[in-house]
Amino acid sequence: MTSYLLRRDADEARSKRSGFDMARFRAQLPRQITAYLFLLPALIAFGLFAWYPIVNSVVMSFQDVSLTGASTWVGLHNFELMLKDPATGVIWKNVAEFLFWSLALGFFVPVIIALLVREMRIGKGFFRVVYFLPTVVPAAVAVIIWRFIYDPDAGILNELLRQLGMSRQLWLQDLTLAKPALVAVMTWNAFGTTALIYLASLQDISQELYEAAELDGASPWQRVLHIGLPHLYPIMSLMFLLQIIAVVQVFTEPFLLTFGGPGRETLTPAMHIYNRAFIRVDLGYASAWSVTMIVVLAVFSIIYRVVNSRLSR
Amino acid sequence: MDRGFLSAVELRTPAGRTYYLVALALLVLAAVLTLFPFFFAFTSGLKGSTEIFAAGLNLIPADPHWQNYADAWRQFNMPRLFANSFVIVGVGVILRLIVSSAAAFSLSKLKPVGGRIITLGFLTTLMVPFIAYFVPLFKTLNDVPIVHLNLLNSYWGLWLPYCVDAFSIFVLKTFIDRIPSDLIDSARVDGATALQMFRHIILPLSRSILIVVCVLSFVALWKDFLLPYLVLADPLMQPITVRLFYLADDYSVNLQMAASFIALLPPLLIAILLQRYMKVGLTLGGVKG
Repeated sequence: MTSYLLRRDADEARSKRSGFDMARFRAQLPRQITAYLFLLPALIAFGLFAWYPIVNSVVMSFQDVSLTGASTWVGLHNFELMLKDPATGVIWKNVAEFLFWSLALGFFVPVIIALLVREMRIGKGFFRVVYFLPTVVPAAVAVIIWRFIYDPDAGILNELLRQLGMSRQLWLQDLTLAKPALVAVMTWNAFGTTALIYLASLQDISQELYEAAELDGASPWQRVLHIGLPHLYPIMSLMFLLQIIAVVQVFTEPFLLTFGGPGRETLTPAMHIYNRAFIRVDLGYASAWSVTMIVVLAVFSIIYRVVNSRLSR
Repeated sequence: MDRGFLSAVELRTPAGRTYYLVALALLVLAAVLTLFPFFFAFTSGLKGSTEIFAAGLNLIPADPHWQNYADAWRQFNMPRLFANSFVIVGVGVILRLIVSSAAAFSLSKLKPVGGRIITLGFLTTLMVPFIAYFVPLFKTLNDVPIVHLNLLNSYWGLWLPYCVDAFSIFVLKTFIDRIPSDLIDSARVDGATALQMFRHIILPLSRSILIVVCVLSFVALWKDFLLPYLVLADPLMQPITVRLFYLADDYSVNLQMAASFIALLPPLLIAILLQRYMKVGLTLGGVKG
């Protein structure tokens, strides 16, 4: 009895020190085992196919690795190679230009569409479905269709230019047109999701707010500018970040539509990682790029958080 | 009374009516542009092999070759491609739902020690872009640690990585958090095991959110290109998204278009028929970040 009490006191003292209750833990042990049995499949899946590869990516960036698994430590050598790689500068320039085009062509389109659809008294559901349809199209299939739209000889786009009396363009082979042409496909493929998110958010605004503004003499345009848009700003800033993250990572469209060309004009980080890892089989160097991408995207997210908290204060 | 920025009264004024018509015209224009690639693929798929290269816009084929669709279906071996995609995506979605809902149930109602750290560990994977770890993931699938299995060229090499989805766990956990714990406690008093609670209380009550996660996962996995492209080297095993692109080069453009249009039908049908579930999913997606 005394020994039990002593043990309990000791347990309690320990739990006070560490915030961990030994007696309760013993009583709960069977429950904890069941809890972990339910978690086990997820833990195994995340462990093997997410956490382990992510850690491995960092480890491999400091190594020289072959596909068979043999590896030697090379320190920062891979990162030095990356700085010397003539492709590096081109790729970051491409990323900047892709970001410019995708934000210019695609950032405000969903906002405008959402504002206009919100105003419709009938047919809202129809427009919602129509704009949403391209978002379920796999990029690999979209590419087959768009490749023909852009075709220099038989493509509909050049035919349209011809009818308007303009000269034909080599859309995907042209140094200046290749990027906007790719971004147009990406925008077509993605704008519906964002537009529907904005629309859902606009539907949340209480109608009394508009009525009050109207009574105060605000014009319809002022109501959009001072009620509708400000309501969207937080989501717009989030979508801005998500769009940057998505564009920096883009792979399928440039890989299938232009294969990085003409020259290296549409080579993206993801394609470069793919080429280095699976064609040149230099996994260490590819991982150095991967780690750089994690850092770059993390920096974007941190800048976003800081700017956002400053603005909302 | 439903109103937008404009009130019902303003809409009846000439200015209001003009604004409304301009807005409608812009939306219709955007809708036409959005639908054009679908329409273009469909009608190009109907054209003969000379008409498709003829000068002029020729949006509507003069002499529709419905036979093209039958030819594309046969020559691209589309039943096989669809079957592959459905097996890959179907099993992938089911496994993902089982793994995610079990984890969400445990984290929400069984209070495992260290649950918060595990949740954080799941959520961190959302911050790491896929392009940052697909190379080591490929290496892992080539030789899975501890068990030393090679999952390349096997559907398991897709199904198992598809089980990893922190977004599903997060959404399901948020939903299950709102199911009253009293239900679980009284079931426990009645002597129900955790598995019985999971099957007879949690899953039936979460049906609506499970359907949303299911539809979203189906579309996401159906669209996937990079992972099946890396994992499946055998053309006979590849899903339609991967195989179609590589087959396309061997056939004339009108057959390519017909095949692409057929390939788009399942995801389009899902988008149209199940759009209300996808809409819920979108608002969830907006909350994610």
